[in-house]
Amino acid sequence: MQSAELEVQAHQLQHDLQKMMRRFGRQCRGMGTVFVTLVRQTETQLLERGRQVLPLAQAVQERLHSMPQLLEDQRARLDTQLTAALEAYHWIESQSRRLTQGKALTHCKIVNAYDPTIAPICKGKSNCPAQFGRKPGIIAEPAAGFIFALHLPVGNPSDASYVEPLVDNVEQAIARVRTRPTPAIHSLAGDLALNDAALREVLHERGILTVGIPKTVDPLPPSPTPEDVLRILDETDLHHIRTPSQVHLAYACGYSRPVVESSIASLLCRGAGHLTYKGHRGAIVQTGMAVMAHNAATLVRIHQYRLSKRARTFRRRLRLRCRKVNQGNASIN
Amino acid sequence: MQLLRYLQHWLTRRGPGFQVADFVPETHPIRQWADTFPWAALVAAVDRSFAQRFPKPSTRGRPPVSTRVLLALELLKQELTCSDEQICSRLRTDVAVMYACGITEVQVDRAQEHFVLPEVLAQFRRRLDEPLMAELLAIQAATAMEDGLVSPAHLVVDTFPSEQGSQRVNDAATLYKAQKKSSSSSRP
Repeated sequence: MQSAELEVQAHQLQHDLQKMMRRFGRQCRGMGTVFVTLVRQTETQLLERGRQVLPLAQAVQERLHSMPQLLEDQRARLDTQLTAALEAYHWIESQSRRLTQGKALTHCKIVNAYDPTIAPICKGKSNCPAQFGRKPGIIAEPAAGFIFALHLPVGNPSDASYVEPLVDNVEQAIARVRTRPTPAIHSLAGDLALNDAALREVLHERGILTVGIPKTVDPLPPSPTPEDVLRILDETDLHHIRTPSQVHLAYACGYSRPVVESSIASLLCRGAGHLTYKGHRGAIVQTGMAVMAHNAATLVRIHQYRLSKRARTFRRRLRLRCRKVNQGNASIN
Repeated sequence: MQLLRYLQHWLTRRGPGFQVADFVPETHPIRQWADTFPWAALVAAVDRSFAQRFPKPSTRGRPPVSTRVLLALELLKQELTCSDEQICSRLRTDVAVMYACGITEVQVDRAQEHFVLPEVLAQFRRRLDEPLMAELLAIQAATAMEDGLVSPAHLVVDTFPSEQGSQRVNDAATLYKAQKKSSSSSRP
């Protein structure tokens, strides 16, 4: 089939499909509701006419490989785009069919034809509810808000699924530390979304206390009784790794929404709440850069000791030091 | 030659030169911010990753714009909430941005428009990927831990929503909404 012929067919097909959708729109206009029968009729017509899309696309793909005037990278780029479009077509078709048949959609539904990694985000935290987008996860220290790792999965999985990759990333960072004693993760806190028995088990096996993850909506006591400390160490079987003072500190750190909000707000003002880079990789790059910029600003605050009372107390208890920013690093160039 | 003039102006050795560090006070926020990064380790990680994934077939051709400059620009872009064009423009005129990008000495040349073109920054960004970003973050965290500034002993995990793309409202949508609103409000 010649290129010109393919082009004519594609234009004709596009015109017909647009005409059908226009007719559908006109029939629905002013009704204030969409009739299921009408939707199903239109679906049948669209599928009947749209059946030609797939063979047409395959013909174009074949034609693409036999065009000598195209450069190699140009051909590869077009081929990739066409393959992605064909794959997206299959996903969208199956999703639309489920809808027209009155079936519920699966968890990760497609909301953008050009980027299947975007998902509906049903959370309104940080005063910025996003209907469709991504849900990055961060793991930070609660004293100053330094973010150790970032995880940005495809779609919108449960919050509990973020923990293991984030802890893995922190351990990779710890493995790079050359000073002794090597730091270690003692405890992990989170909101009620992380309250998962399997996750607690995994964290205990790693030697991490989970007292900061609540089991109910009731707030954690600021300091546990000696009996509570012993009970926690017994339950988690971490006698040999964790000390009672570490349990006390884990309780004190707990999960504080304002502390987390401050880190998130800092990221949002650095553009992490509005992703402009394309695709999943672009989102990771943009959020990653925002996290690094935030961390640098946090380190400046630590150097200058511009910290909250709470942060200062935790730093003292964790025996973290503070030095002036230009003391040991006079020139970076 | 034109590209060389546009991209690596400070290497052309024309006009009187000045030391960038002399112009930026030690208390300047961008200087303090830039001083916290372990630049050598970060640049080495980026160069290693690029060399593995995008091997150069030949050593011929113009030397590329320094990774140090591009990485700093990308970070500054987030810190200062700029576009590619804005941050590249600031690099030309803002001495603090030059300092953050690791430029030590600059030759004064009024005719010069850009140090780095926004397209070059976009090309650099296109090469960054997930493992590299995780590595860069790990390097930054490890350096902070080594310096005794932060501790991973007690951590907190949370997620936040971020919307993808620009949510532009076009004229047609605004008009449609306005008409709909006025018609619904005029109903008894």
